[in-house]
Amino acid sequence: MKLTIGHLYPDLLNLYGDRGNIQCFIKRLQWRGIDVDIVSCPSGSRIDFERFDIVLLGGGSDREQELVCQYLKKVRKDFKDYVEEDGVVLAVCGGYQLLGNYYKTSSKTIEGLGILDIYTEWSKKRLVQNIILKNPFFLNPIVGFENHGGRTYIGNYTPFGKVLFGLGNTGKSGYEGVTYKNIIGTYLHGPLLPKNPEICDYLLQKALTRKYGGNIRLTALPDSLEHTANTYIVKRFARSF
Amino acid sequence: MKNLRIKLAIYCAKAVSVFIQKLKKGNGLTLPGYVARLIEPHILSILAGMVREKIIVTTGTNGKTTTNSILCHMLKSDGKAVLINETGANMVNGIVSAFVLATGRHGFLDVDYACIEADEAASVHILPLLNPHCVILTNIFRDQLDRFGETDSICNMIQKAVSAVPAAKLILNCDDVLSYSLASKCPNPVITYGISQQIFDGASRSETRESIFCRFCGKKLEFSFFHYGQLGIYHCRGCGFSRPTPDYTAENITHYDGLYSFYINGSYIHSNAHTAYNIYNTLSACAALCSLNALGTDFKSAIESFDYGNRRENTFMINDASVQLHLAKNPIGFQQKISLIVNDSRPKDLIILINDTALDGKDISWLWDVDFQYLLKAKIVTLLTIGSRRYDMELRLKYEDIPCNSASDMRSAIERLTISGTKNLYIIVNYSGLYQTNALLEELQSQEKGGLT
Repeated sequence: MKLTIGHLYPDLLNLYGDRGNIQCFIKRLQWRGIDVDIVSCPSGSRIDFERFDIVLLGGGSDREQELVCQYLKKVRKDFKDYVEEDGVVLAVCGGYQLLGNYYKTSSKTIEGLGILDIYTEWSKKRLVQNIILKNPFFLNPIVGFENHGGRTYIGNYTPFGKVLFGLGNTGKSGYEGVTYKNIIGTYLHGPLLPKNPEICDYLLQKALTRKYGGNIRLTALPDSLEHTANTYIVKRFARSF
Repeated sequence: MKNLRIKLAIYCAKAVSVFIQKLKKGNGLTLPGYVARLIEPHILSILAGMVREKIIVTTGTNGKTTTNSILCHMLKSDGKAVLINETGANMVNGIVSAFVLATGRHGFLDVDYACIEADEAASVHILPLLNPHCVILTNIFRDQLDRFGETDSICNMIQKAVSAVPAAKLILNCDDVLSYSLASKCPNPVITYGISQQIFDGASRSETRESIFCRFCGKKLEFSFFHYGQLGIYHCRGCGFSRPTPDYTAENITHYDGLYSFYINGSYIHSNAHTAYNIYNTLSACAALCSLNALGTDFKSAIESFDYGNRRENTFMINDASVQLHLAKNPIGFQQKISLIVNDSRPKDLIILINDTALDGKDISWLWDVDFQYLLKAKIVTLLTIGSRRYDMELRLKYEDIPCNSASDMRSAIERLTISGTKNLYIIVNYSGLYQTNALLEELQSQEKGGLT
């Protein structure tokens, strides 16, 4: 078996250890004997979504997001088709914002992909701190670090998690991120996947099932270190629950 | 009345400094400054006005402390009296402390030069108070993003700070497109330095680059080659913006027996620099002094006698083992240390300490921007991770298939590895671990010396 992961615009969207998410995908596939191919799609390159089993969209500064926007417009339809056909997407921070209709910054409005009917508005105080979420689908709490000026309003979509500690989408809603079909959009850096291997495996399983069909079960990996690192954050910041 | 207040401010600050040292609580490098400012808010401008010749401020992401030490060493070699702020005390209170504690009994400064390293964010407040003759901008890399937000914010802060002192000469590394782009938006006279020779190896190059898109037209920049990070020789096909011919450069750079030699300003210099980035630091200091007509006649021997192993890169002997302490606080800096370790062909042990205090940056995501895979071939026998984020560090290495373990106590780790290890121990720490680890190593080293006599 083999998965192909498309990393969109790594030359523009590469903030905050996004590479860690790719490294996590790669290693957790390799450790199970599954082949993996990473396709780096720098700005200006032709992007063929049909090749991809997972698409990763990282974070960038407001200025870089504006540059990305002009490239994304050209692939909007292909990207949307990929999503509707259950393609797996992990969009972090700036990438998460770009999935929506627009991002209104302090000075202008950056048009998004419009793949999800959500939007983001900039606010002066950045939301910066460790964050812990709970999603009933996953056994362990989800830990990460948020650092965003934008407030994202997700309407009736299902959030990625309930905020146990930290600020989340708007700082007030009590929820973080968004999920739709096989998309996860989130503000969580850290990077997200290494300390939350359940999420990584969930996305890998979705991608493998989509590609090969049937009921694919990933073999368990020795994740005690991952759990130790996860539990350390949970115990340190959220003693109260 | 004003004079009295200045004297009172200085007196109280000194008393606080003595008190802290007696208590042995911390290094006492910032509280005196805080106290002095409480009593006389203008104390820094007043004392800065007493500097006889010139004030040089160094800011930027990496290389501030080393550059500042080189400046200080070169000026002292030329017979000048120099005031300098201590390692890391580079926020407003630390700098005020340095000035206040340098005053004599009557509250006057007796110095020709002040060489001050300033934190990038604090430079907005510091530069107008010091009104320096020249500002060195070493480079701009991603650093402490939980504090700064994004790299663009760092650029904006520095631009604002430098623009507030328009008469100051801005000395910058033109191989860094972020620094050079920023300069065009500042009213200051600009002097550039750069290296045109490709001298950095693969292990130091770092795959993580800041956005390499033209700040003027948005087109992707083309690079003839990269030094490391985004540093390199660039040009823009869109608007013609390109890396200029530097005003000052180091040429004919050679690496022999672990040390770098090079030409600067017509002199061939056999430096003690083990790492290529120290050529940049040396070059920036020379460029600044040249621009102020202060490059001493014998600057060659001044540079050759400079020991780049300041407190941040100290070597100790403990249990007959060589122990090197290195600071790495951001991906680019860490990558340079990895290159240093890879280039040491002997077997070695390595301890990495990662904390996440406000000083370090609470977000440790940047560990995933470091290319650790080079350590696989670095002949590391034992690798331990320590610090509040030791599990994160261990996890980072697990995802490169690099064997390691975590430990909770630095002292026992050092004792164990110096007694039964390879006798060649490297310790890499991020910011908050530096002071304590350095003190611990000094203690362990002196215990041993005490035991021998």
